[in-house]
Amino acid sequence: MTVQALGGLKVLDLAWVVAGPAIGRSLADYGATVVRVESSKRIETARMMGPFPGGKTDPQRGALFDTCNAGKLGLTLNLASAEGRAVVMDLVRWADVLVESFAPGQMARWGLAPEVLREANPRLIGVSTSLMGQTGPFAAFAGYGNVGAAVSGYQAIVGREGEIPVGPFGPYTDYVGPRFGLVALLAALEHRRQTGEGCWLDISQAEAGIQFLGPEVAQGAATGAVVFPRGNRDDNAAPHGVFRCAGDDEWVAIVARDDGEWQRLAKLIGGEALAPELATLAGRKAAEDQVEALVEAWTLPQDAAAVEKMLQDQGVAAHKAATSADMVSDPQLVARGHFVRLPREIGGESVFDASRYRLSETPARYLRGAPHFGRDNTEVLRDLLGYDAGRIAELEESGVLQ
Amino acid sequence: MSGWLAGFRALDLTDERGLLAGQMLAKLGMDVIQIEPPAGSRARQVAPRDEHGGSYVWSAYAAGKRGITLDIGAPEGRELLLRLVESADFLFESEAPGRLATLGLDQATLRARNPRLIHVSITPFGSDGPKRDYADAELVLWASGGPLHPSRDVAGPPLRISVPQAYLHGAADGAAGALIAHFARVQTGRGQHVDISVQQSVTQATLGSHFAAAVGHADYSYLPKAPSTRGGAGRKPLDLSGSGARTRRSKWVVRDGLVEMHLGIGPAAGGRTNVLFEWMAEHGAVPEAMRAWDWVTIPQRILADEITEDDIDEARDHVARFLAQFTKAEVQREAFARKLMLAPVNDIGDLLASEQLAARGFFVTVDEGGSPRTLPGAFASGAEGMFAPPCGAPALGEHNDAVYGELLGLGDDERARLAARGVI
Repeated sequence: MTVQALGGLKVLDLAWVVAGPAIGRSLADYGATVVRVESSKRIETARMMGPFPGGKTDPQRGALFDTCNAGKLGLTLNLASAEGRAVVMDLVRWADVLVESFAPGQMARWGLAPEVLREANPRLIGVSTSLMGQTGPFAAFAGYGNVGAAVSGYQAIVGREGEIPVGPFGPYTDYVGPRFGLVALLAALEHRRQTGEGCWLDISQAEAGIQFLGPEVAQGAATGAVVFPRGNRDDNAAPHGVFRCAGDDEWVAIVARDDGEWQRLAKLIGGEALAPELATLAGRKAAEDQVEALVEAWTLPQDAAAVEKMLQDQGVAAHKAATSADMVSDPQLVARGHFVRLPREIGGESVFDASRYRLSETPARYLRGAPHFGRDNTEVLRDLLGYDAGRIAELEESGVLQ
Repeated sequence: MSGWLAGFRALDLTDERGLLAGQMLAKLGMDVIQIEPPAGSRARQVAPRDEHGGSYVWSAYAAGKRGITLDIGAPEGRELLLRLVESADFLFESEAPGRLATLGLDQATLRARNPRLIHVSITPFGSDGPKRDYADAELVLWASGGPLHPSRDVAGPPLRISVPQAYLHGAADGAAGALIAHFARVQTGRGQHVDISVQQSVTQATLGSHFAAAVGHADYSYLPKAPSTRGGAGRKPLDLSGSGARTRRSKWVVRDGLVEMHLGIGPAAGGRTNVLFEWMAEHGAVPEAMRAWDWVTIPQRILADEITEDDIDEARDHVARFLAQFTKAEVQREAFARKLMLAPVNDIGDLLASEQLAARGFFVTVDEGGSPRTLPGAFASGAEGMFAPPCGAPALGEHNDAVYGELLGLGDDERARLAARGVI
């Protein structure tokens, strides 16, 4: 049996949507036993978001849910019932790690406050991930992803210069938050390995998002400077943009990282692009509208993937703005095995992202896809908690396992 | 020595594309030694920069580390690196794939010196595959991994975030991958290679939309639709942004900037709009004809032709006029009290002035070569002693004496000789 980095680690995953579940997904890839508890009556948001096979909305088959929850065991449970919470308490005593992403205070209202759980299991490492964190005057401020992106500064910095910003795609802090949450959790596991002590970690998705704005925070504090949306431009390069190509909604990103790259690009474009005043970054910055118009006039009749190839052959940084169709056939992602496919127990297949860390000796293993409702109820209750058949039947009959 | 990862050491050869990985671990107390070429890291030149030319990128993402200089391309430099590797637990690098091997620092050589070493490579497309040697840029990687294409409104090209993000996703994954590999090492005593592809890292930032073709969702579109007043027509419009509100229609101009709010209708979101209109009514800001509107049932009433699109636009105008009289902070307080899903569109100044972030002690001010730098601090709260006290980014070669002297035992003369030869 090969070693699994996190083999033997037991995780109780009470999280929902993206930011919380993404943490447990990474643990499951490396051998942790992750029990994901959810309600099949109050269906969690990620299950409703798709994309779905054949475009048919089905909470059991959504790709977003699949990629956030692959490899976990699924237990359906009514947390609002006392019997349901008793099962959770048994899982707390079983677990090394608990991850939850309810609105701050919700766990306490269920009688599952951190102090209660830590008393039941002093070695437990708890992770609460929420929009604003568990403390502070706005701790209870809740909202969807657009709200997280607004309070963390991202809604203000995506858009065209001088216009009302568009904001980023989707709940941006949900992509950043779990990265910090996971590293904090792994550090806590190391701390426990050395000291035997558990802990409870409070992760604020808004604060995690701001970690990715560190330079702008430093600059703003020193000078009062504020970042405004600037289309796709950047101080360090010109052109630095996304250009329309032939076809419907096809685009290519092109960055001339230095004057040499611009020279090679300008040779392909020809004509005015070869003007000596555009030979330097300062010259191109002074005429950026013109530079971008020249580039786009050149890309417009061409195929985006062909432009990417032509420029990369010249060592110029370029890539098609990948659509989902481009990604599934991208030779690089194919070669790296990025899209993992496993049969789904209720028919069809589950598709999810491979682990974002490729470990040479103890690689990720994908033993099962994300659970359909209640898929692993028996395995969890009988094998992990040691409930007998009678107890399980009783829970079943009283509607707790829904 | 404090912080939960005190006692571990990392060598960090990364430039701006990977600095964050080591920094996350340095914050947790790890001894992270940033190794720069004698002329200084490329990252020291990256905008935004201060009036003396100092890079805020360096300030932000090299903070908490020690700094030494070393020419790893010189034979003596290579040997010094290998000696440092003997005492290290982790090595982070963001060199082009294959470059370390050409310097005689391939994985086998590194591991031969220290079988416990965990070697983390953060590269644009990963360390193998047909695009491994592609020229990279932040925008280009954002384009390659999916998040660029859907980020837009109906007009114009896909839009990046106006602050570089792609490499940060990869670097943060590097930190996590390193620690996961550490738990394998705890069991086996052996290190391994951790291979990060930024392209794959940023696939996390599409809200699953990059799976549409893979699962066969043919008409999956993330372009904003006309506001979903046709929602009652049998097919519920997909809420593809995770919020239903990522376009400029969700931005409202207030006295000192913008606030973000989706004017929701229908059973899922209409209730909150009713609450908004109650607040407006208290200020006499709702015209007679709209007082009886129930935003939960608006979709049906539109379908029944009782209410028109123009009426909705008029309602939006009333909302816009009402909100325009307040500041962001005023609106946020009221929205919070009334549980509206409305948030200030914070800019950097708002973040620095935030009552919430101040109450949590989020920002820290460190000393960087005599200048104060204010930076994001700890990334988790609630546990005593988890993080090391924050400190600023190192000056060029600031810790050469400490590292080469104390760690490798090189005497003053030897260090002077290496410096004279441009090795350190």
